[in-house]
Amino acid sequence: MATRGKGGISLKKFAVVGERLPNVDWQKVSGQAKYCNDLSFPNMLWGKVLRSPHPHALIRSIDTSEAQKLPGVEAVITAKDTLGIKYIVMGPPFEDKYPLAVDKVRYVGDEIAAVAAINEEVAQLALDLIKVEYELLPAVFDPEEAVKENAPVIHDHVSNNIAAKAERNYGNVEKGFAESDYIFEDRFVCQAQSHTCIEPRSCLSFFDADGCLNMWSSTQSPYFIRKELAHILSMPISKVKIHRVFVGGGFGARSKICEDEAISALLAQKTGKPVKITLTREEEMATTRIRHPMVIYLKTGVKKDGTFVARYMKIITENGAYNHTGPAITGFAAMIAASLYRVKEVKVDTQTVYTNKHVGGPFRGYGNPQVTFAIESQLDLIANKLGIDPVDIRIHNANRPGDVTPCGWVIKSCGLAECLEKARDEIGWREKRAANTPGVGLGIASLIHCSGAYVYADGDFSAAFVKVYHDGQVEVSCGSADIGTWSNTTLSQIAAEVLGVPLKDVTMLSMDTESTPVDMGSWGSRTIFTAGNAVLKAAKDSKEQILEGAAKLLKCEASLLNIREVEGVVSVVDPKGSSVSLGEAVLASSSRIGQSVYGRGHYEPDTELINRQFGTGNIAAAYTFAAQAVELSVEQDTGKVKLLNLVGAHDVGQAINPIAVEGQIEGGIVQGVGYGLMEKHKYDNGRVVTASLMDYKIPTAMDIPHIVPIMVDSEDKEGPFGAKGVGEPGLVPVAPALANAVYNATGVLVKNLPLNPENVFFAITEGKGVSE
Amino acid sequence: METEIKLKVNGHLHEIKVDAGRTILEVLRQDLGLTGTKEGCGTGDCGACTVILDGKPVNSCLVLAVNADGSEITTVEGLTQDGRMHALQESFLKHGAFQCGFCTPGMLMSGKALLDKNPKPSELEIRQAIAGNLCRCTGYAKVVQAIQDVIS
Repeated sequence: MATRGKGGISLKKFAVVGERLPNVDWQKVSGQAKYCNDLSFPNMLWGKVLRSPHPHALIRSIDTSEAQKLPGVEAVITAKDTLGIKYIVMGPPFEDKYPLAVDKVRYVGDEIAAVAAINEEVAQLALDLIKVEYELLPAVFDPEEAVKENAPVIHDHVSNNIAAKAERNYGNVEKGFAESDYIFEDRFVCQAQSHTCIEPRSCLSFFDADGCLNMWSSTQSPYFIRKELAHILSMPISKVKIHRVFVGGGFGARSKICEDEAISALLAQKTGKPVKITLTREEEMATTRIRHPMVIYLKTGVKKDGTFVARYMKIITENGAYNHTGPAITGFAAMIAASLYRVKEVKVDTQTVYTNKHVGGPFRGYGNPQVTFAIESQLDLIANKLGIDPVDIRIHNANRPGDVTPCGWVIKSCGLAECLEKARDEIGWREKRAANTPGVGLGIASLIHCSGAYVYADGDFSAAFVKVYHDGQVEVSCGSADIGTWSNTTLSQIAAEVLGVPLKDVTMLSMDTESTPVDMGSWGSRTIFTAGNAVLKAAKDSKEQILEGAAKLLKCEASLLNIREVEGVVSVVDPKGSSVSLGEAVLASSSRIGQSVYGRGHYEPDTELINRQFGTGNIAAAYTFAAQAVELSVEQDTGKVKLLNLVGAHDVGQAINPIAVEGQIEGGIVQGVGYGLMEKHKYDNGRVVTASLMDYKIPTAMDIPHIVPIMVDSEDKEGPFGAKGVGEPGLVPVAPALANAVYNATGVLVKNLPLNPENVFFAITEGKGVSE
Repeated sequence: METEIKLKVNGHLHEIKVDAGRTILEVLRQDLGLTGTKEGCGTGDCGACTVILDGKPVNSCLVLAVNADGSEITTVEGLTQDGRMHALQESFLKHGAFQCGFCTPGMLMSGKALLDKNPKPSELEIRQAIAGNLCRCTGYAKVVQAIQDVIS
């Protein structure tokens, strides 16, 4: 198994793959990159959304007449201006939201009406003129209150506000607990987290002369947007075109339909003009998706040598006002509970509960961070009780290649044990834990995650074309959206490697439903694996066609030919040294289309769709692993934590571009630091009062010490050149590593996030792990 | 009521009529078409709108255009001269100091303002200079390395 340190030392197996090449999107540093809010069309109108100021109310009437009369207003729409079709998201029976509220609002921020006007000021004035008559209803803001008998009913189609519940018997826990030497029971509380993309959401819609909807949107998944819009507007898929645009971050916030997308489309349809909606930062913080808050009860049985025997987990997920992907995230969280470490008997009970607050959605980790926080924090309590070193107990129980977890995950490549060893050694675990410096603590935590996942009935696929021109230039075409993940660069590197061309000869076309073949989206740590394999296949297809053309010209068997540079020109060379340029080979190819060769690649891994009845299935063709270690100091008088060192050892398989992989590890760790140490929303009767970047604190450059990213290569056989996903893993282990370090420094395990000074101070003062 | 102001932006002189309430961020992006400078919050908390105004890095969303009359402003578009990128931009490319790129113009301007005043800053001074530039993608690690590399 190969390990690459921070220097990204390549074993020189490849020419382009594995190299620290610069990002191909240089426009991001020149200022020329156009994001949605940078786009402007002639006659463009500004759209704005009227949102509910109440957490729970019936809508008795909406009077838009005054708003319609305001000069400069070109459209005012409410639910009656739509076809009355709900969003799909997870599909039945979870569909519970309309683009504009029909008879009820369920959280502060719920969309009721929208306006398109000649500029932003007029649009805002028009919103203020819309009169809505509400009948206020009692609201509930806590999931454990919401399930009680007399709680307000948020949705009529479920009882006790339970949007979904499940009992997952992944084994016989009663037998397991009976066989355990020790049993531990703890309660953990995880808070909401906002994605806080630096770019506020924006989208621009335009119906062209062919009746096609054209949209530019800050999205991770043109595929899902197109599907939802065609559904909401009852249009053919071919007439909904999502176009390429630079996107300022995603992290899951933009991986499914966002409300302003349908609303701008409806306004564009009504006015016949382009309509742009850009959210304010306040809307972005208060009304877009969040990471689901969860309350987790964890009961673990172990042998006295530290071997896990049984794990029972109860997860209560706070859905917020609508489903979105809540039940799916809870389901995935349950699978993590069954898969992190080798545990024979597992049972998970889950409830996904509606409350009158902002809505949970996908966020880097997709339920994993919360479950890992519980398991990994409790594990240090276990290690302490048994007198076993926290790293040793983890290595002892680590997943190994060949394991099948209780929920059916088939582990092939697995570098968890090596990640733990590398993280331990890099942070100086043994020396520093032995030194026991007062106020200083070290903590470690592990990760299991998937590299892509089959969680939608649509499938888990990606597709690509690799086109080679008759001048030897290469164009990779794939629907994946590079939201900052460097996929434009890494997918180009894969094609360049196969075809033997330098990276500068490759152009990437991405994220355009009109011209690029479909990719399901940049989420689930799937892009390098799924889109990467599609590009790999397409590039190999192109290469075959090129070699066939060259074989004719050189009068030589294709299998004897190589591609390499001859006097500065990429050429196909025969064993005698005769060559033709790539472009000449293209023109000689029997399968060329016009003057180019088109390579086609469709990739769909051999995996199982998550079984909704049992919560089982081998949902990914590769799983990723990691271990992160943290060194910090705690100020006893204030509870303030100062970070000293951060190490992330990640099993990523072959790093296609080490800079890109390090970036995901470093960025994920810092976003995890935010989750673990400082991010917290406060509410006043359901209204988010921390809806600004001043009140909702995310890490700045001053909060972060030295980070060491380490790449471990567990030699995966399925990934393209052996690559596995790394988009999400960076964030997941941070919070428990921090909690464990605070435990090491103070003797107290804080079981509710974030570990802000208030929580840490009161935990230390009360001398025990406090739960809210 | 509109006032005519003069702004020198990236070396070019502009005469523009502005309402009292307009910020230089709006003027740069909408009137001058310089969309490289971004709006991340509109309240001076994120730094995505950072430009250099008379030698100082400022949040352009907080500066009224009428108060900037007669000023010299440099935006990210002004870093490239005669088709050649600034050493800072080259360093950002070499180190991969960006992911989504939305905070990048602001980071570059804060970095430039620092190096113009202090050509050999320490790592702490670099972090202080970009403390007002929020980034959600990179974790700041490669941004700091990229700015450091311009010194050496």
